[in-house]
Amino acid sequence: MKGRTFLALTALIAGIAAGCGSSKSSSTATSAASGTTSSAAAGGTTNSKCAVSIGVEAPLTGMVAVLGQEQLAFAQLAVKMDNQANGTNISLAQGDTMLMPAQATTVTQQFISNAKVVGVVGPAGSQEVEAVGPLMTRAGMPFITGSATNTTLTSGKNPTFFRVVSRDDVQGPEDAHYVVNHLHPKALMIVDDQEAYSTGLVSSMVPVFKSAGIAVDHESVSQKVTDFSALVAKVNANTTVVVLPWQVAANAQQFGKNLAEQHKKVVIFGTDGLFSPGTFTINGSYVSSFGPDITAIPSDASLVAAAKAAYPKFGTFGPPVYAATHVVDEAIASVCKSGQTPTRSNVLAAIKATNQPTSILGQPIKFDAHGDLVGAKWFLFKINPQGKYTLVTNS
Amino acid sequence: MHFFIQELVNGLTQGSLYALIALGYSMVYGVLKLLNFAHGDLYMVGAFIGYFVIQWFGGPMALSVPVPLVLLVMFVLAGGGVGMLGVAIERFAYRPLRDAPRIAPLITALGVAFLLENTMLLLFGASYRDYNTSAFISFSTGIHIGPLNVDIVRIMVIVLSIVLMFALTVIVNRTKLGRQMRAVASDREAAEMLGINVDYTIAATFFLGSALAGIAGVMAGLVFNQIYTLMGFVAGLKAFTAAVVGGIGSIPGAMLGGMLIGIAESFVTGYISSTYTNLIVFGILIAVMLARPTGLLGRVPLQKV
Repeated sequence: MKGRTFLALTALIAGIAAGCGSSKSSSTATSAASGTTSSAAAGGTTNSKCAVSIGVEAPLTGMVAVLGQEQLAFAQLAVKMDNQANGTNISLAQGDTMLMPAQATTVTQQFISNAKVVGVVGPAGSQEVEAVGPLMTRAGMPFITGSATNTTLTSGKNPTFFRVVSRDDVQGPEDAHYVVNHLHPKALMIVDDQEAYSTGLVSSMVPVFKSAGIAVDHESVSQKVTDFSALVAKVNANTTVVVLPWQVAANAQQFGKNLAEQHKKVVIFGTDGLFSPGTFTINGSYVSSFGPDITAIPSDASLVAAAKAAYPKFGTFGPPVYAATHVVDEAIASVCKSGQTPTRSNVLAAIKATNQPTSILGQPIKFDAHGDLVGAKWFLFKINPQGKYTLVTNS
Repeated sequence: MHFFIQELVNGLTQGSLYALIALGYSMVYGVLKLLNFAHGDLYMVGAFIGYFVIQWFGGPMALSVPVPLVLLVMFVLAGGGVGMLGVAIERFAYRPLRDAPRIAPLITALGVAFLLENTMLLLFGASYRDYNTSAFISFSTGIHIGPLNVDIVRIMVIVLSIVLMFALTVIVNRTKLGRQMRAVASDREAAEMLGINVDYTIAATFFLGSALAGIAGVMAGLVFNQIYTLMGFVAGLKAFTAAVVGGIGSIPGAMLGGMLIGIAESFVTGYISSTYTNLIVFGILIAVMLARPTGLLGRVPLQKV
């Protein structure tokens, strides 16, 4: 009887775990939280006062490790180049969040307890920012994300938070208006991936679709689902557009293949996470992004060459992290130049005063009072038959 | 009706994979009373072996040999390779703990799962890899009647799974090895006293169960294209649930449980909403477990008094 009870209990736990879309990763949080690694400085005149660390919170393992590894590579590149340019001795402390709020909280605690860390780049996901915000606020730790776009993050509850990308209330409505005005669907399917990033975008898009009189079938699947054939079977003849505000490009590629398998001709409209040339290549699909394709920005040519050497297949997730890291690097350097020792509070003040006339993103970087990027842009790309992304429009 | 058949085929495809993985869970539990949580990761390793076979033959766009030969090599190498990996895991991770309290091998199994995942991550990176099956098996092959489209790969997966399940049933019920496996499952000490080589029998059980998981991994790659190092977790979890719902230790139960979960997921997604798939499917399963704690085809063990 004990054995049967044990089995039933285990099955119940397994069911709840899968049903909630949770991940084994949560049980590995401690083991996976990576330790501090130095990637510091080369060249330049080293200022010993400027021997401080920046924490990088990114999903280095797990479902979206591809994006996290890209972000880390760009953060490392920024620190290397800025150390050379400024003569600082900034090192990076890596924290693997696995895109999970619980894990992000653990990593944040580690950074907060490390006196050398005076600023954090990341975390990547809106759900993670929501989780770590109170901790960062209490510690007075400045943190800048290169990819968290949920509108509420800069509503005032996270006074040490900044972002170098546009908010969902820019991207979501822009996406939705483009779909309405250029793709003219009578009916569409929109599928969220059950994460704050995705549901936030869906919330900002659906009202636009409904006010345009479009029939909306709102579905929801976990990021861990890899077969969409049952969902694709529901795409009817009236449905001409499927909107996928997802973070896993490989899943969208599979969705496209399931559509082809069932001979359904539908345009896929995706968002940031799907910007992954080489992974998401469905012909005729659209991908909107908070970041530009820096390979098309002439002034970024030398940076692109360096980035390709460090991380050959990058998309739009790395460059904003470069920009975010650069902001912290410059803030630390300015504190050092003023003769002070960098601390969280003076680095925070310096970040607030950031006013860069140009950046890797092809636009100035300056924050408003809430930590949002002033003049944040939105970009839309279309995938051609060769799988290449071409810019269609931007705000 | 077309929609019903479409969703049924989708469910049977997914269910076949759950069933093949569930068989390994069930067989290992049968002989060792061990929940081998590393089993889902063996499925992942099988998927990677299949992927590298495709690359070895020139990649999906330019295969240097006929497709049937590629498929054969994929299944043989994935089945054999993962089978041997399963035997090695049993030999070095579980055998030393065979007489330890049940919690020890259970925790070890979780450790082996993480070891496999992270070893693969270190070796091959975090990127998704794409079988790109449609590049060498066209979507135009298969059954296409009006709005009903059943890809030949799905048909192959369902048929091959049924063949493998039938073959396993024959092995277990009609061969000397099968009799030994059943004897060890029934009473390991008594089997040993009767001259059965228990170590060999358990190793053979691990080989068979792991080989099925490896083959299922290749099938998953062929149908779902994208493979990655964490793909074994959810599939393993659902397969484990299938094994328990079917009646863990019961081979027909594992098959039934896998198929039921796959079909239920597909129909809930198709007829209700994908939003509620896990909620409804696992709700049904919990209800089944409450009504029949030994699973649908599980037996109440005889109590010795």
